Amino acid sequence: MRRPTLMSQILQLRNISKTFPGVLALQNISFDLIEGEVHCLCGENGAGKSTLIKILSGAYQPDEGGEIIFDGRKVVLNPRLAMRMGIQTIYQEHIIFENLSIVENIFTGSEIVKRGLLKRSEMRKKTVEVLKYLKSDLGPDTKMGELSSGEQKTVEIAKGLVFKSRVIILDEPTASFSSLEIENLLEIIQTVKNGGLGIIYISHHLEEVFKIGDRVTVLRDGRKVSVRNLNGLTKPALIKDMVGRDPSTFYQRERVPIGEVIFEARNVTGNGAKDISFVLRRGEILGIAGMAGSGRSELMNVLFGSARLEFGEILIHGKVVKHSSPRSAIRNRMCFITEDRQNTGLFLPQTIAQNVTVANLVNTREFVVRHANDARTGDRFVKLLNIKTNDSQTRVVNLSGGNQQKVVLGKWFNTNGEIFIFDEPTLGIDVGSKQEIYKVMVDLLKQGKAIVMVSSDMPEVISMSDRVMVMKNGQKMAELTTDEVSEENILTHSIGDKAI
Amino acid sequence: MTERKPGVRASLFKRHENLTVLSIFVGFVVIIVILQVIMTGGHRFPTFISPVNLLNILQQVGVPGIVAVGMTIVMISGGIDLSVGMLASLVSIVTASGISKWHLGVVPSIAVGVLSAVALESVMGYIISRTKVEPFIVTLGGMITFQGIALLLCNSREVIMNGELDFFKLNLIQGAKDPVSGLNLIIPPYVLIFFAIALLGGLLLNYTKYGRRIYAVGTNPYAAYLAGINVQNMKLSVYVIMGFLVGIGAVMLLSRVNTGIVTLGQGLEIDSIAMVVIGGTALKGGKGSIVGTLIGVFFLGSIGNAMNMLRLPSEVQFVAKGLVVIIAVTAGDVSARVSEFISRRKELRSRSATGRERKVRLETTR
Repeated sequence: MRRPTLMSQILQLRNISKTFPGVLALQNISFDLIEGEVHCLCGENGAGKSTLIKILSGAYQPDEGGEIIFDGRKVVLNPRLAMRMGIQTIYQEHIIFENLSIVENIFTGSEIVKRGLLKRSEMRKKTVEVLKYLKSDLGPDTKMGELSSGEQKTVEIAKGLVFKSRVIILDEPTASFSSLEIENLLEIIQTVKNGGLGIIYISHHLEEVFKIGDRVTVLRDGRKVSVRNLNGLTKPALIKDMVGRDPSTFYQRERVPIGEVIFEARNVTGNGAKDISFVLRRGEILGIAGMAGSGRSELMNVLFGSARLEFGEILIHGKVVKHSSPRSAIRNRMCFITEDRQNTGLFLPQTIAQNVTVANLVNTREFVVRHANDARTGDRFVKLLNIKTNDSQTRVVNLSGGNQQKVVLGKWFNTNGEIFIFDEPTLGIDVGSKQEIYKVMVDLLKQGKAIVMVSSDMPEVISMSDRVMVMKNGQKMAELTTDEVSEENILTHSIGDKAI
Repeated sequence: MTERKPGVRASLFKRHENLTVLSIFVGFVVIIVILQVIMTGGHRFPTFISPVNLLNILQQVGVPGIVAVGMTIVMISGGIDLSVGMLASLVSIVTASGISKWHLGVVPSIAVGVLSAVALESVMGYIISRTKVEPFIVTLGGMITFQGIALLLCNSREVIMNGELDFFKLNLIQGAKDPVSGLNLIIPPYVLIFFAIALLGGLLLNYTKYGRRIYAVGTNPYAAYLAGINVQNMKLSVYVIMGFLVGIGAVMLLSRVNTGIVTLGQGLEIDSIAMVVIGGTALKGGKGSIVGTLIGVFFLGSIGNAMNMLRLPSEVQFVAKGLVVIIAVTAGDVSARVSEFISRRKELRSRSATGRERKVRLETTR
């Protein structure tokens, strides 16, 4: 193999596109990585960063016409090959064996073996060498489960070095880190970078990007917006690249007269949410914006009683309520349309009728259920929400994502709730169903109900919300009025470092 | 049903989930009957399906059947109970001791026996519902513990009664004769109790709020929690029901043998779980029915009986029972694959037909 010269290009992507059914996730992306550089990837949630990484790690194949060039040669990647060639991807979620030691974690799957027996001493020696190189004081025999998430990241990077990786991809590495751990990680990355490896670094935290990065590529809606040298770049200039959609193309929502306050959170703390206060009035949508991992869903769980409220108060109609479980929240006429509808919102093998009637069991007094009544209720919502199926006896597992979401809505409408929490209401839903769900949400407002909407879809937040609360690290960063709501404002608060 | 109409067959089996195992059962009965006819040279009516033998099978499956109804409910909720066999032994010893050692009288002794089963199951249910320990582990521990308690109570000896519970095996159709063999027909009360319990269980699962919630908890506990269902109490309740049914089953069993002994309930957990599983209830919960379990009960019960009829050694019975469990459970999967294969072939074939026709056909299969 030809030895690459110093500062040569390790990796190059040409014309990479990726389509999923109904979605164009990436469009004609070009990207390159040089030895000894940290190349950052920035963009909003859903800009295509994760898809790009999955293409680099071989988990996804790009559409026809795209080329991946590694060390000057065109390659077709699969996860195994990518690893063998020296592209190591470190995902946000740790993929580890908790009960095995650091050495065993590094070598599982690629053990050093002699005549069928493990060569423990050699594996251990290699691990110690690399840990020393990274200036880490971790003992090689420590169990992985005993390490902090920062230390686990170190081990994963060490694994890359043990197997002589050329490229290390880090996806949101600091998501749950303390500030000290972030410092340590950045230092380790510096060491690795000086060793001539190429690093692709993805982070929502612009401070880190500016501290460690050499270049930054900005993605928006699956397209590459720019590649810039970070040296001399300012934060506002970078944010400008990340935003910049034309607001007139957004969904145009009907406004509804806003009524009295029906829900209030006072200093709500718990489950990662810190000291959050806000009010919600009849006929309005309060959008909750923020980057992935900013604690928005966690806050919603506290409000709904499915996570513990450690401190603070929740008021409904001006009265303090205590939600020990979702049961009491439902009785207080709250509804929670969760983000992960398949795992937390639906009973997939059951029929539409059964799914729609299940949450209202809390409110009914009859012990005996009549299938005919359930079917009627189910059919009513099939018609009302325009669920595409023959009747309510269809099993939910056979419906499309958009129709499944409508079943979730039906389940909550059937409880006759008035305070709706929507967590990512249109995640993974086709455009047509999206519009229908927006219409349904506005219909709720017309009936005098109120909506809290967590969303990572920027156009959705901007077009649907009357006000927007921006969160970061479990804290409220800003509350924007209708006039202040803009992509740039939201992004500045959700990745900026100033708290109010 | 011939090979020429594969589409009809696949969809029919898909719509009625119990049909696969039911057809295996029917096939099994047919084979046994044919074998019997061949062996006797066709001179005698096949004894396997004679009324007296059918009632005989009912008597044999009555008690495991009662437990299987409880097991169905437990398994639909996502749990399992390995302790039922030893618990039944324990109940038989408690009840028998109550009658012949402690002289409590018949009814109080039965009450004490059943209540102790309910109490012990409640303890296990409490642990299962309040912690994250697997039901498999908790009830395995329960099984060993109950065996110990039972042995302690009876000093490792059997407790003999004087037929105080004989009214449970009264013949309700005294004097009725089998038109084929001329033997006496027998239906004891516990067979009726089994049917009553199965009926109640079926109604409970299908037509009550409680049943609805059991399925919800078994399908997706977290979604059930978010829908306002008290998942912990639901999980606890199924073990309470289980305890009650094991208690009743154990008393029935005791009435048959007249002796409280630690081996009485041996294998009951294996048999009842096998029956439930044959009936299509999923180990992971959320799926299953009493109708399916009834098929499983009769199927498993008739295997041993059939082997006896064919004069096969009892050792063979275990092999046959085991194979039936595996076949019944695999059959559903196999038939799903077969129907998938058939529809794929159909699709390939229709690809040569016009595009429009294909589209219509695809939509209907969905």
